[in-house]
Amino acid sequence: MRGRELIRSAFSREQVDRIPWVPFVGVHAAQLLGITAREYLQSADHIVGGVGRAVERYSPDGIPVVFDLQIEAEALGCQLVWGDDNPPAVVSHPLLEGVQLDCLKIPDIDDGRIDLVMQATMRLREKHPELALYGLVTGPFTLALHLMGTDIFMQIMLDPAQIHQLLRFTTDVAGSMAKRYIEAGADVIAVVDPMTSQIDPMSFETFVTPYVTEINQDIRQAGALSSFFVCGNARQNIEAMCRTKPDNISIDENIPLDFVRDTALAHDVSFGGNIKLTVALLLGDEDTCRRDALECMDMGGRKGFVLAPGCDLAMATPVENLVAVAELVHDEDLQGELRASEAVTVDIELPDLSGHWDEDRVVIDVITLDSSSCAPCQYMVNAAQRAAEPFEDRVICQEHPIKRTEGVQMMMALGVRNLPTIVMDGDIEFASRIPPISDIERKIGEHLAAKAKGAA
Amino acid sequence: MSDLLQQIADCIKAGKIDRASPYPPEMSGQDGADELTRQALDTGMTVDQILEQGLMAGMDKVGQAFRDNIIFVPQVLMSARAMSAAMEHLKPHFASGASERKGTFIIGTVQGDLHDIGKNLVAMMVEGNGYEVVDLGVDVTAETFIDAAREHPDSVIGLSCLLTTTMPAMQRIVSAIKQADPSQIVCIGGAPVHQGFAEQIGADRYAPDPQGAVEFLNSVH
Repeated sequence: MRGRELIRSAFSREQVDRIPWVPFVGVHAAQLLGITAREYLQSADHIVGGVGRAVERYSPDGIPVVFDLQIEAEALGCQLVWGDDNPPAVVSHPLLEGVQLDCLKIPDIDDGRIDLVMQATMRLREKHPELALYGLVTGPFTLALHLMGTDIFMQIMLDPAQIHQLLRFTTDVAGSMAKRYIEAGADVIAVVDPMTSQIDPMSFETFVTPYVTEINQDIRQAGALSSFFVCGNARQNIEAMCRTKPDNISIDENIPLDFVRDTALAHDVSFGGNIKLTVALLLGDEDTCRRDALECMDMGGRKGFVLAPGCDLAMATPVENLVAVAELVHDEDLQGELRASEAVTVDIELPDLSGHWDEDRVVIDVITLDSSSCAPCQYMVNAAQRAAEPFEDRVICQEHPIKRTEGVQMMMALGVRNLPTIVMDGDIEFASRIPPISDIERKIGEHLAAKAKGAA
Repeated sequence: MSDLLQQIADCIKAGKIDRASPYPPEMSGQDGADELTRQALDTGMTVDQILEQGLMAGMDKVGQAFRDNIIFVPQVLMSARAMSAAMEHLKPHFASGASERKGTFIIGTVQGDLHDIGKNLVAMMVEGNGYEVVDLGVDVTAETFIDAAREHPDSVIGLSCLLTTTMPAMQRIVSAIKQADPSQIVCIGGAPVHQGFAEQIGADRYAPDPQGAVEFLNSVH
């Protein structure tokens, strides 16, 4: 099973033989064609050609037609500024500039680039019948922000009724775009609403939930699949996102995948993510990307998970990094080899840690693959060392790379399952993600305080 | 602390701008940061007292609640708005040297990136915490940052970006700034970046949120 069929299975949370893979190729495809983002996003020919090139190179199961959250805004009169290596940015907000909401109309096919995008969708549908095509729709809250500017964050407090009117309109726009995409042949409608990562759960329930729930329901009724994308740290709203009843949620690397998995599956929603866009895909090497992808795959599992980058790929993402992930996805032997290179063998003797701890000092053990070859490991070790510095000799900080037996022994003895991980006095404090130094410092402070209390 | 200062702190924390503001509903009809600050000055309290024990005390709580994911951007903006309303009354006194700024923070969104939401939030919070903020706007080149740093010695530069696609620009700008002046302190923030990226590109610090930027500034000043 592959392509749209596989995506459909994963979205239905069925057990799959292979985890589906959806690289969020947006302006990255312009790199594949050797043109600018500006040229790319303004030509159906380029979009069809660029997506085609990405399909050849990255063997995906699904792919977005375009990743540009300015399409609806542009059609509604927001001014755009174009860049060579980014999607355009909205620089004017009509509702701030005297335009009345009543004067805004749901865009026609001829407004802005809507026709161009729908033409590209139809042509891609024809060329790639097996592929899950994702039609990306700007979420109602983010579109409202394009129209009103950042004032919306205060107006939801000061004039909620006005904001509800605005959201009614932007929801109708999103619904109309979703309908067009489905008619043009898209399989999945992704409602992309990154700005919701900035609001609290109560505001989300009030200003996002009713609208996105409606869109998801309409998508389902039209026979397509829905996915709710929120880039940014939306951890506080993951549960509310699931309650809008999408078929899938997709999140970025700011949010731990195991947390998303547990929350989504508990709500009967599939989930996707979250290969690190920058440290791995943009700046890392092929090995880093493979390992990061494998970690996501092992954490996501074969039920209800879609492997994807955290958000849209940077234009300059090295092609070989994405090829490395694609190869890994399609090659179980390679996955096994990679796992074995990290795996812990069972006949290893557990060390005696009784002399490892210290009554007065905090003992920090950083378990890594090897900080000299694994970039995230290096950052984790650096972060721990820098956090420990101000505490001077009250902290003992050491790295245990599991490339050495001693490291494997420590990993097992401490019960560490993710790499890299920071353990303090035997407690797993930070796993996988590199925390801000201030968070590590705070934890060290807590451990020292606990020791002082114990001594007293 | 006097009741009045406590009330000012509470208004900042709750985002109560003035008597007319409907937010928060439970403080409807009460005086806000605007009126209470005026009253505090009228009763003879010093600018420093009002700033430290009223405004800053409130803002510290806002920062902490933001850090702990209890409040989010809308609430922080309301607090910043309440803070600005109060500062309007205090500003005339700063010019006369009654109170000094803690330092200068130069901020801008990196070249190629036109997003200003995150940057504006950080600028508001940093300013609200007693720093002078030089806001260079969006799409800022390395040269503009370097020129601003020359104009404001001992400043800290903050770079913002929203797009993954402009992270390489952030990297280029940090290295140009460091090349021009290796001792120049640079911190970065924005949705796609993190501590690992900060270390990789040679920035001094990654701040995950506006409060992180404030704490970093407090630590270097």
